[in-house]
Amino acid sequence: MRVTANMSADTSVYNIMQGRRRLDRLQELITSGQNINRPSDNPISSRLLLDVGDKMKAFDQYNANIIKAKSWMQFSDTALTGMNDVMQQARSLMNTMNSGSTEPNERQNAHNQLIELKKQMIDMVNTQYGDQYIFGGADNLVPPFNSTDNTFAGDGTERQIEIASNTTQTISITGDRLLLGIGANPSYGTTNILQTFDDLIAAVGDATTPSDPAAITTAVQSLEPASRQIFNAINTNLSRMTRVDNMSKLNDINKNTLSEIVGNIQNVDMVKLGVQLNTEMNAFEASLSATAKLSQMSLLDFL
Amino acid sequence: MGLSAAMEIGKNGLNIYRVATEVTGENIANVNTPGYSRQRVLLETAPPTTANGFPMGTGVRIATVERYYDALLQQQLVNAATTLGYDTAKSSTLQQLEPAFNEITNDGIGAAISKFFGSWQDLTVNPSGTAERQSVITNAQILTDNFQMISRTLDDSITMQNDSLVPMVDSINATLKDIAQLNGQIKTTELVAGNANETRDRRDQLVRDLSQKIGITFTENSDGTTDIKFADGGAALVTGDTAGVFSLDKITDPNSFAVQLTPAGAVPPAVGVNPTTGQLGATLALRDTIIPAYQAQVDALATTITTQVNTQHTAGFDLNGDPGIALFDPTATNAATFGLNPAIVNTTQIAASSSALLTGDNVNAQLMTKLQSQKLMAGGTLTLNSYFDGLVSKIGLDVASSKNTVSQDEAFSKQLTSLRESNSGVSLDEELSNLIMYQRSYQASAKLITTATEMMDTVIGMIR
Repeated sequence: MRVTANMSADTSVYNIMQGRRRLDRLQELITSGQNINRPSDNPISSRLLLDVGDKMKAFDQYNANIIKAKSWMQFSDTALTGMNDVMQQARSLMNTMNSGSTEPNERQNAHNQLIELKKQMIDMVNTQYGDQYIFGGADNLVPPFNSTDNTFAGDGTERQIEIASNTTQTISITGDRLLLGIGANPSYGTTNILQTFDDLIAAVGDATTPSDPAAITTAVQSLEPASRQIFNAINTNLSRMTRVDNMSKLNDINKNTLSEIVGNIQNVDMVKLGVQLNTEMNAFEASLSATAKLSQMSLLDFL
Repeated sequence: MGLSAAMEIGKNGLNIYRVATEVTGENIANVNTPGYSRQRVLLETAPPTTANGFPMGTGVRIATVERYYDALLQQQLVNAATTLGYDTAKSSTLQQLEPAFNEITNDGIGAAISKFFGSWQDLTVNPSGTAERQSVITNAQILTDNFQMISRTLDDSITMQNDSLVPMVDSINATLKDIAQLNGQIKTTELVAGNANETRDRRDQLVRDLSQKIGITFTENSDGTTDIKFADGGAALVTGDTAGVFSLDKITDPNSFAVQLTPAGAVPPAVGVNPTTGQLGATLALRDTIIPAYQAQVDALATTITTQVNTQHTAGFDLNGDPGIALFDPTATNAATFGLNPAIVNTTQIAASSSALLTGDNVNAQLMTKLQSQKLMAGGTLTLNSYFDGLVSKIGLDVASSKNTVSQDEAFSKQLTSLRESNSGVSLDEELSNLIMYQRSYQASAKLITTATEMMDTVIGMIR
């Protein structure tokens, strides 16, 4: 084949461009550290990366939900533990007053203590998380209970949140189930705790009213299931916390697996690229040198 | 025959080698001229005489000055240029679009969808929270921005393709006119004398240039002219020295010009044509098919999100206990008009509850978050995110394959250009050695004349 100087020049330019292109690509890979920098680098893996990315975002969101749910449940736990203490105090008080008292001062004292305990109970069931009453169900912008009557101003709807794909977790305990012993699924007991306090307060009597030992006995009998009712709620809350904790770990594990998939696709093999870069640079330098040398040769120099 | 015959041969030689040197000079001067084909002087013996009693030549003469030209190669170059023109135009436009869909390194629509539904997840934890409600509105706005950005990018690209038709058609018309003119010149020149080599080179170069823009077929006629026909439909673009004219119908649809053609020799009105090859074909395909297909997918996503989110939102109740109103503008018909409902002015209007009475209920927000995992797209086979991921992957695939095609086309064109260069390109070394050869021949012819002169002197001396 007849070869002209222009052909050599064209070939040189073409090959130098190809070499530059390969070097440029290697440089992009090394500096970005990623195999895929745009969808066209590998459309099929891009699809997988995006899919995995969506899933990872979902896991992040579930874990964000779980963190919020946990602080909600920790608030609930604090309140419930407080209520449990109140129940213990009520029980120990009633241990000493189990048949009433003939001392007006003692009666008045017990009466006052019981009223105070009931107030504490109501304060605790009115605990707020942010501006929400955590025991108020879905009607949680007003206090669920007041100290004048025992009606529940909230709603029996339990709050559910999503903690994994299509997995929801109930995070709230409603005041009616907890203190009035009404509602089902779940039910912690059937004791109207606030009424029990009222009964005790009435039965103990006060400075002027004598105790009613029979009524005390009846009311004290309700204290035991009332305590258990609070205790059940504490247990339910704790087991929910354990469940979301586990789910959070599971989400992390799943996310790690996905991260690994992303890493396998995206992380460049620096050693391999380094070797490739060396080879390409050698080839590129050689082509530059060859071009420089060959393009100077002409018959003109010898005539 | 006498000494004068020998001098005549010498004189011819001088003339002819001077011409040969000129041709070499022309070749050397045009070594870098695009489309130039090297020329050579074809020498032949001058007609013999029998004056000596036997036939003997009367020296050398120039049969012709011809160019090295391979018609088959020209045909292949023309075809390759059309393919390269189409693929390059398509590839460069697609590569301009790709960054808008580069969800891998930047957050785009896909991330915005996830964040929008993520904000509804946050709302399920605190359905009456103002911050959470604000976050829903903000993320809806971000989603809007993303849709509009992509939609604008695609729209701009379509407009750009349409606008680029004007200079492209002008340039095609100018080339057609030039080819027709050159055809006329070639015909006239060659009627008078020899080959119009340079004019033919220029014309052939224009034919190759033209073939990048539109698909053509050409026929070389015996009178030196080249007739050109349109590959898409076969209309005559150049016949002899008359050229056809492309025009654009800008009236019927100002946003989408229609290409028309008045064939060579035909009288207006122009007829509509449908170019499918070359740069022109690629521009039309991008404008009418390829980009609108992407746009349709983005639009489908935008309208599905609008209807589905609105349906769920209107099923719930806001913080005031009123039924939810459409969250996204219900009049939106595509991604460009996608947006937050202007009637949503307050965070209390986000409908998280499924009950008019219960402000702390999160059931509607929960149902809203479920939309993200529901297969709402492509006839119930894909989720919103995976539908968009599919579009990104499709664009990636289109870009990758067009890049591959272009590099193949380039390699093929390079091969053909090399072949043409090998056949028609000027080699300086070759020309230089020819130059020496002609110089020697010139010197020899001169020597012939000197010798004949000396012989003549001898004869004249005898007379004296």
